[in-house]
Amino acid sequence: MVSEDVLRTHLQELRRGTVVVASLVALRRPDYGYALLQRLTDHGFPVDANTLYPLLRRLEDQGLLTSEWNTEENRPRKFYRTSDEGESMLSRLLDDLATVQASIAGLIQGVNR
Amino acid sequence: MNTLTNRYLAATLRSVPAQRRDEIATELRASIDDMIEGRTDGGADPATAEREVLTELGNPDVLAARYADRRLQLIGPTYYLLWLRLLKLLLSFIPALVGTIVTVVEAAEGKGFGAIGPGIVAAIQVAVQIAFWLTLTFAIIERTQTAVDLPEWTVDQLPDAPAHRRIPLADTIASVVMLVLTIGYLPFQHYNSWVHETDGGNIPILDPALWSFWLPALIVVLVASVIFEVVKYRIGRWTWALFGTKLLLDLAFTVPVAWLALSDRLLNPALAERLSWVAEADNRHSLGLAIAVGAVAIVVWDLVDTARKTRQQTTS
Repeated sequence: MVSEDVLRTHLQELRRGTVVVASLVALRRPDYGYALLQRLTDHGFPVDANTLYPLLRRLEDQGLLTSEWNTEENRPRKFYRTSDEGESMLSRLLDDLATVQASIAGLIQGVNR
Repeated sequence: MNTLTNRYLAATLRSVPAQRRDEIATELRASIDDMIEGRTDGGADPATAEREVLTELGNPDVLAARYADRRLQLIGPTYYLLWLRLLKLLLSFIPALVGTIVTVVEAAEGKGFGAIGPGIVAAIQVAVQIAFWLTLTFAIIERTQTAVDLPEWTVDQLPDAPAHRRIPLADTIASVVMLVLTIGYLPFQHYNSWVHETDGGNIPILDPALWSFWLPALIVVLVASVIFEVVKYRIGRWTWALFGTKLLLDLAFTVPVAWLALSDRLLNPALAERLSWVAEADNRHSLGLAIAVGAVAIVVWDLVDTARKTRQQTTS
């Protein structure tokens, strides 16, 4: 019987890095914090708001995202977009994710044989 | 009026770097409003929605730390082990040292047993001071993010594997106590034996002439034996090197004693004046022989027993 607590910690560890990848992919189309949160959740990346909002700022500080204020709507919103630098970083991260996937698949086949 | 949200924003922004406070405030307020709106659109009561959203965002201090990329720990894993080692090292001897010095100084001023209290108080104060300043120093290092070059760990730092202890602590303590009592008895008998002169003065049991060389030499051998016992305990089991050392120490003590006893130089000649039995040469000779044979018998039995233990513990 798998302990729920242990499972939750391992899932958290497994998911931690993927939030950055998912955000960089999603923000190829510019979006603001809450809308991004909704989009990620809809696509199976449930993220805590108190994790995502500070993360967006950190990625912006690292130059992986650019931002622009949109004041046309009823409240001012900060729109983030993946920068060129973010894009090249993203392709490296996606390559690595694919490698991990392939390695796991190879390992599973090897064990089953 | 959005009092809960205002209070939440104020609490969060309090510990966010000032130059980005306004921007974070605007963005966070918009995000909170978006989240509340998302819930009221689904038919929720605005006040309840606000409460739920702020609860979801959690403790404002944690959120602010995430915005500022600040660590929520006093001393992190980088420095923790170093901090712990230094703390143990400093606490292991400085408080005891200061406490002892204070006790000695107070005792020298004639306080007697009353000197112990101030000594203990001083030791506790020093321990608290060490812990506080060391921890403060490390907390500052942790926060300044200056890269302190910690020496890389290498395999050479590995301590010896704990020896399977075959030498009980109780045996070591008993041996050391016996040796210390013996060392103490040698000068003690000189000033305080059970034999007295007619005028009440003390007659040493051992010949005072031996103090010119043999008794100091025996004391040196006994002190070396104390050191040997401690080393043996640290090693944890008998080895042939230890057996050889014990053999030498035993011979260095027993051979002089047996020889002095046989050549009738061990006991104080002055004893004969008080104990008529000792005055007869035959009796003195028998006594010397008994002492010599007894000493040799004890050592031989001890060495045979030790050799047996050594063989057991080196083969298994």
